[in-house]
Amino acid sequence: MKKLLFLFAAFLIAGNVFTQTKINSYTFGAMEARWLGPGTMSGRITAIAGVNADSKTLYVGTAGGGVWKSTNAGASFKPIFDKYCMSIGAIAVDQATPSTVFVGSGESNMRNTVSIGEGLYKSADAGDNWVKVGLDSTEHIAKIIIDPKNPKNIYVAAPGPLWCDSKHRGLYKSTDGGDTWNKIFYINEKTGCADIAVDPADPNTVYATTWEFRRFPYAFNSGGNGSGMWKSMDGGKTWKELKNGLPPKPFGRIALTLAPSAPQNMIAIVEAKETGLYISSDGGETWKSQSATTNVVSRPFYFSCLVIDPKEPKRVYRPGYGFSYSDDGGYSFTDASYDGGWVHSDHHALWINPNYTNQMYLGTDGGVYFSLDRGATWMFVYNLPVGQFYHVAVDNNNPYRMYGGLQDNGSWMAPSAAPGGVNNSSWLDMYGGDGFWVQPDLMDNNIAFAESQGGNMARIDLTTFKSVDITPQAGKDDEKLRWNWNTPIVTGQANRRNLYTAAQYLYKSVDQGRTWQKISPDLTTNDKKKQQQEESGGLSEDNTSAENHCTIFTLAESALDENLIWVGTDDGNLQVVTDGGKSWMNVSKNYEAAGIPAQTWVSSIEPSRYSKNTAYVTFDNHMYGDMNTYLAKTTDGGKTWKRIISDEFTGYAHKIKEDCYNKDLLFLGTERGLFASVDGGETWFRMKNHIPDYSMVRDIQIQPQTSDLLIATHGRGIMVVNDISPMRMISKEVADKDVVLLDSKTMMLTTGKYGGGGSPVSGGWYGGNPDYIEPIEYYLKDRATKDVKLEIYDDKGKLVQSVPGTKRKGVNKVFWNQRMTPPKTATGSTKMDYGGFIAPMVLPGTYTVKLKIGDREYTNKLILKHDKGNTLFSESDREEQYTAALELYHMHEQLAALVDKINAEQKLIKENMDSVKKGSTKKLLKEYNAKLEELRSTLLATKHKSMFADEKKLRENLTEVYAAICGQESRPTNLQSGRIGVLNDDLKKGESTYEKLAAEYSAKVQQTIKEEKAKVAKSVPANNSN
Amino acid sequence: MKKITHLILALTFCIAGSISVKAQTADEVIQKHVTAIGGVDNWKKINTIKMVASTNAQGTEIPINITILQGKGMKVDYTFSGMTGWSIITEKAGWSYSPFAGQTKAEAIPEESLKQSQDQLDAQGPLIDYKAKGNTVTYLGKDDVEGTDCFKIKLVYKNGKEETMYFDASNYYHIRSVSKIKADGKEMEVTQNFGDFQKLPEGIVYAMSQDGAGGQMKIKSVEINKPIPDDFFKPEEQKTTDIKK
Repeated sequence: MKKLLFLFAAFLIAGNVFTQTKINSYTFGAMEARWLGPGTMSGRITAIAGVNADSKTLYVGTAGGGVWKSTNAGASFKPIFDKYCMSIGAIAVDQATPSTVFVGSGESNMRNTVSIGEGLYKSADAGDNWVKVGLDSTEHIAKIIIDPKNPKNIYVAAPGPLWCDSKHRGLYKSTDGGDTWNKIFYINEKTGCADIAVDPADPNTVYATTWEFRRFPYAFNSGGNGSGMWKSMDGGKTWKELKNGLPPKPFGRIALTLAPSAPQNMIAIVEAKETGLYISSDGGETWKSQSATTNVVSRPFYFSCLVIDPKEPKRVYRPGYGFSYSDDGGYSFTDASYDGGWVHSDHHALWINPNYTNQMYLGTDGGVYFSLDRGATWMFVYNLPVGQFYHVAVDNNNPYRMYGGLQDNGSWMAPSAAPGGVNNSSWLDMYGGDGFWVQPDLMDNNIAFAESQGGNMARIDLTTFKSVDITPQAGKDDEKLRWNWNTPIVTGQANRRNLYTAAQYLYKSVDQGRTWQKISPDLTTNDKKKQQQEESGGLSEDNTSAENHCTIFTLAESALDENLIWVGTDDGNLQVVTDGGKSWMNVSKNYEAAGIPAQTWVSSIEPSRYSKNTAYVTFDNHMYGDMNTYLAKTTDGGKTWKRIISDEFTGYAHKIKEDCYNKDLLFLGTERGLFASVDGGETWFRMKNHIPDYSMVRDIQIQPQTSDLLIATHGRGIMVVNDISPMRMISKEVADKDVVLLDSKTMMLTTGKYGGGGSPVSGGWYGGNPDYIEPIEYYLKDRATKDVKLEIYDDKGKLVQSVPGTKRKGVNKVFWNQRMTPPKTATGSTKMDYGGFIAPMVLPGTYTVKLKIGDREYTNKLILKHDKGNTLFSESDREEQYTAALELYHMHEQLAALVDKINAEQKLIKENMDSVKKGSTKKLLKEYNAKLEELRSTLLATKHKSMFADEKKLRENLTEVYAAICGQESRPTNLQSGRIGVLNDDLKKGESTYEKLAAEYSAKVQQTIKEEKAKVAKSVPANNSN
Repeated sequence: MKKITHLILALTFCIAGSISVKAQTADEVIQKHVTAIGGVDNWKKINTIKMVASTNAQGTEIPINITILQGKGMKVDYTFSGMTGWSIITEKAGWSYSPFAGQTKAEAIPEESLKQSQDQLDAQGPLIDYKAKGNTVTYLGKDDVEGTDCFKIKLVYKNGKEETMYFDASNYYHIRSVSKIKADGKEMEVTQNFGDFQKLPEGIVYAMSQDGAGGQMKIKSVEINKPIPDDFFKPEEQKTTDIKK
């Protein structure tokens, strides 16, 4: 037994020896992403639900940005679903218990780029916490309806998976408040449920529409025998089809709704050969045709929203391509005005406040609008940063500029930092249409290249935004050019002058698109069966270039050799050329050998910066119903590939990025998350650095000068993690240590790059600025349970400032403001003085940082330098500024000491005034007090309390010039310097006055008081003395 | 040898089983938390707490005093530039005074805001005898706070205020709270982190560092059950400013 225990102990010890601290997102958790928006152009909104009881709590579901909640009718929003799927299909609030909210993930606006969901979620606390309650495999949820009379009955319409046959579709019902679910209506593996309506007066009457729909990588079909309209009178147990008066089948998608105030009145938009709006006044038993205006019949697979006013059965709203409304039950429609500003087209959601039906919220492809006049005019909600970027690019300016294209919302640019911070007004709309790639010309600061759908591209003058079309045209022997929806426009990594774009051929320009050279044959499979886009759409023709196929989807020039170019197509070809475009090699069979399916979209290629033979490639096979994450690496120029796998990965892959300074640092963006590896792809972790866990990461860039990581999300705009250099520094060895005070970089002394009025932005989205000073960084293996602080000492060992530390696990960032500890300022005023918050900036030099955690101490050197790049502020300017600031600092402290003396004397007088009896003593005290008060009132404000009443005395005058000198990067002006002398004279005068007063009165007053006290003590009877 | 291997495996499973985190209930987490911070008996002895604390603004230390009389009153005061602001909450009313921008007298705290603040009158904390105090708790599973594994509990105070509490799974210390304050037509979320846990002579463990959006407060001393004058929480007894009268 003894042996056994010994063995067991050895086993445990061995286990401990090899336990290593895992490097993961939390190791770098303090590096939190800035969400830069924009909010001025938002993204696709898929669902809006409000709380009827308060008319101001709103839940907004988005195509790729999760769920946002407002508790103030839209004045502000916050994301409440950031740990879960970002694609939202439907939201429902239990109006009887509004803290109960359901969210169906996976939107049902089935466009080419639609994402997928992962089930139905329930919150019992108004969105604070969520539990998945089922329907995991439905992938798309169109609507959730809670029985108004019995909220335990809940219906969910699930169109189901888009890219493959599936049994996980149909109408689902829960009778226990969402805990368990049954599929109560199902047609077949191709047909799901698109819409439902429940009669509020008789909730056993349920209507549903079924929808046969399928997408392929190169076409889609809406319509088939499975589509239909149905009615149940027994809560979904049995169903009958509704046909009477409807057009001949087959149908496509049917939008259906009833009038809450008169539920027998129903309307429906039926996609058929002749799509139109139909009306029923007998609970769907019979129908008659009504309007078929453009807005009623447009793109029924995409516009499925139809709403009747909660109170007026004839008031019908059709949010579709545009916004229309009818006052005659759908017989005629009129369109909303643009008097409140342009309203983005493509509408998917509408919530009407049932208590005040003039108030409504509209969800579009460009964000949320609200109306206070029943939809006639609309105002935009500027605070939802849910734009859907496809790509992001950066230039080398300081601050650098960001560029990117948004789904349905054009191409935009913004600086990464700006006076007052990056906000909506920082973003500029540079090109129209659907936006995708935008590439700045790194050789010409005034030029960028952008595009819209269908491969239309332009060279844009960034000073005017005037554009010149540079789209390559087909030559004599060329086939019709096939442009991907998301056509690549890429500038060279080795030669910045090179500009590439591609249809099925690769084009190159060295003169900003003025002349193009075709440098490849057709690099796709050119499979004609996949090129029938004109037939796409099903019952309603729909060919918007979104389904174009057999196209080049991605390309990259090696940073090491401009003749080494990689190209990936949407139909599975991966091609490489090493001679600038003459001898192309198709290596698709080689990646297939690594276990990656053929035909897969090649979604991104990253030629390594460290070896010409190394490249990383991502593949996306979701359009064949395969949601796996495919990432592969070659180290022999594409001959062989190794698939990189990780249990952490989720979602089909969009982008692989290699760091520009550390070959082992890699980033992967997928439809469901951002992942990083610090060991060359051996192990991976999900990055949660203030980034939603399942963000749709379409593109990743690293700005080389700042080491900022930029993420283009398809639903949360651009996110930036400033300065990822700690990710290059933390090795496994470092991570195993309990505490590491990281080596500080040499820091520049600065008050920041920007000034400004300081007024916060009124409304809208605010992305802020990067930190203007470098942080002091330390690593903690575990969260500190003891006190943490940083002390900064100068080269003489004098404490400069003590700064509270943070305690988080991983890298901590603490900002010392590069200043001394503020002075003690005079007290006893009627007003607050800010001088006590202000300190001089320290001089350049070597400082010591002491990190103190409980009783442990860690020390490092910190070098502060003058910024020689700031030509407006020389080193001698800084020294003069410092000297002046320090003089004022000391004057503040001298004044404080003087006022303290006066305060002490006055306190003594006050404490004794009532107890002294002798008239002459009282008079003496009063006289001294009056003279002290007279002096005091020259030293600091003593009369006015209001912040609006200016009362400037010596203290306030000192602060005025002290704050100015401390806060500026400039030598003091002649008058500032002169002012110091004037104020010093005032201070000396005050001190002198006090000395005279004290000499005249202090001893006398103290003596008199003492004598009076002695007299009083004498007169007190002995038996009371204790 | 085979037997021995089996035995080792069996033992390993036994021990692994005992150290793995079992499904918890809110009661279990709270009970372990209360034990970790000194036990219910020690906490229930608390009738008054006086804390001397400070916060750091740009290097300037701002003194703070916090005084609580169990269930009766709480006063917080903070001093800068010789001026002192304060707020008082009692069972029936509350006042605040902030002279820094020229306020001349104490002003009443609106009724709803007051209600949402009155949980702070509980010097023992809301989890000691929480059922008797009318507070309810729900266990929300495990979550993490900046990478530290935590048990998560939602506490609903008797006054309706909701607070989500995170307990470090390794020591059951309460390291974060996210409170939702709904009052006067507004809803506000406040996050507070707790750290620097120290055992006091009275046997309780106290978080001597508390931080939130407003900065970090460091508690320098905690005095338990020191007498507090009856009129301590009366606004008319407070110094509204230290200027000479």
